[in-house]
Amino acid sequence: MKVIVDYDRCEANAICMQICPEVFRLNEDDTLDVLIEEPGDALRAKVLEAVRRCPRQAITVKE
Amino acid sequence: MELSDIDLVNPDRWVKGVPHEELRLLRQKAPVFWQDMPGSDAGFWAVTKYEDVVAISKDPTTFSSYRGTALLRDLPKDDLEQTRTIMLNMDPPQHSKYRKLVSQGFTPRMTAALEPRIRKATAEILDEVAQRGSCDFVRDISAELPLIVIAELIGIPVEDRHKVFDWSNRLIGYDDPEFQTSEEDGKMAAMEIWLYANQLAELRKKDPKDDLVSLLMTSEVDGEKLTEMEFDSFFLLLAVAGNETTRNLISGGMLALIENPSEWQKLLANPSLVPSAVEEMLRWVSPVSQFRRTATRDTQIRGQQIKENDKVVVYYQSANRDEDVFKDPYTFDVTRSPNNHIAFGIGEHFCLGANLARLEIRVMFEELLKRMPDIQLAGPVRRLRSNFINGIKEMPVKFTPPRVRAVG
Repeated sequence: MKVIVDYDRCEANAICMQICPEVFRLNEDDTLDVLIEEPGDALRAKVLEAVRRCPRQAITVKE
Repeated sequence: MELSDIDLVNPDRWVKGVPHEELRLLRQKAPVFWQDMPGSDAGFWAVTKYEDVVAISKDPTTFSSYRGTALLRDLPKDDLEQTRTIMLNMDPPQHSKYRKLVSQGFTPRMTAALEPRIRKATAEILDEVAQRGSCDFVRDISAELPLIVIAELIGIPVEDRHKVFDWSNRLIGYDDPEFQTSEEDGKMAAMEIWLYANQLAELRKKDPKDDLVSLLMTSEVDGEKLTEMEFDSFFLLLAVAGNETTRNLISGGMLALIENPSEWQKLLANPSLVPSAVEEMLRWVSPVSQFRRTATRDTQIRGQQIKENDKVVVYYQSANRDEDVFKDPYTFDVTRSPNNHIAFGIGEHFCLGANLARLEIRVMFEELLKRMPDIQLAGPVRRLRSNFINGIKEMPVKFTPPRVRAVG
């Protein structure tokens, strides 16, 4: 799967980073980095939870 | 109780507290329930399951905030146009453009920078009151902090903050005769806010400052400056949303802690639990009871047929006590984990001030624990008569003043 962040929607709530710090990192200046663009199966459940729980629906995945 | 007894509209049913028995019955027996409205207003679908509230909130294309606004009552055409200039009542892509104008002021980093000022303001509020040994928790404590903070952010001189208190009471309290004497009075409050906003705008035009009024004066959407109406609507939303909800969360959270003394004791013993307690207070109180959407096409919710233009109303307190999501949902547990409540909503209209509210509430309870460890009720709690806001108007409390504690 490929992780896609809509930076127009992201408001730096950092929920994704709490759920899956392996993939999402919020920087000091409120920008979000995707550390692993195509995470493997081991991280799949966590990434999908981040997608579900992002309060702004800013994260999607493409299979 | 039977389904035929249910009435989610009549504000009298909310005066004694959120009608949790009714909401529980709906979740069990009729999670998408047709509720009639009195008078000429159309009835609506009451949605009470967590999963459905989330799905509707995340699908603004099907469930519009613009078409019939986010408010339960149907509005006459003139009022409808005006109300739609408030961001709460917009859909994407329009909503996204307006939200972006102010959203960078509310990120976790921006709000975290306010913590020292919020802590100082909190200390001043509490130190002033603590010596008295008793007070009205609502007016003297929980109303004060959000007013001071939002006044500073917007750029309202701090000595004018009680005007905001009065206006928002009159706007939100339309079903409570103590706050809004007539529909005209509510409109009058809105007019007073607009007049005030425009005067402030004039001042900032000549002398810009580092506040939201100055920012909005120079903001553009699609290359156009905000109209006076758009500016006024922003001002109204920020001023009301920024204080009413936080006030009621602090009051309702304190009440839950007084009614559950073992949870208060846990916080006294271990103040590092406060952030987790804040989330539980949010779940428990859910200061906004409901918002409305309007279906933009024929659709289905949980198998129930919904017609285009049907009104759909989502109930946050019910979602936040859904047995399918929360273990022992009627237990107030400051250590609850996980706690994925949706007191701030989710999706397009997720509360812009969520981070700011969390910060204010956390600091307030950290300082309360230090100063009023033996706080208790000193009289009857008076609640707001409203099916929209889970509010407390008055909550007499008593506590031992600090110097007495020091001596004793």
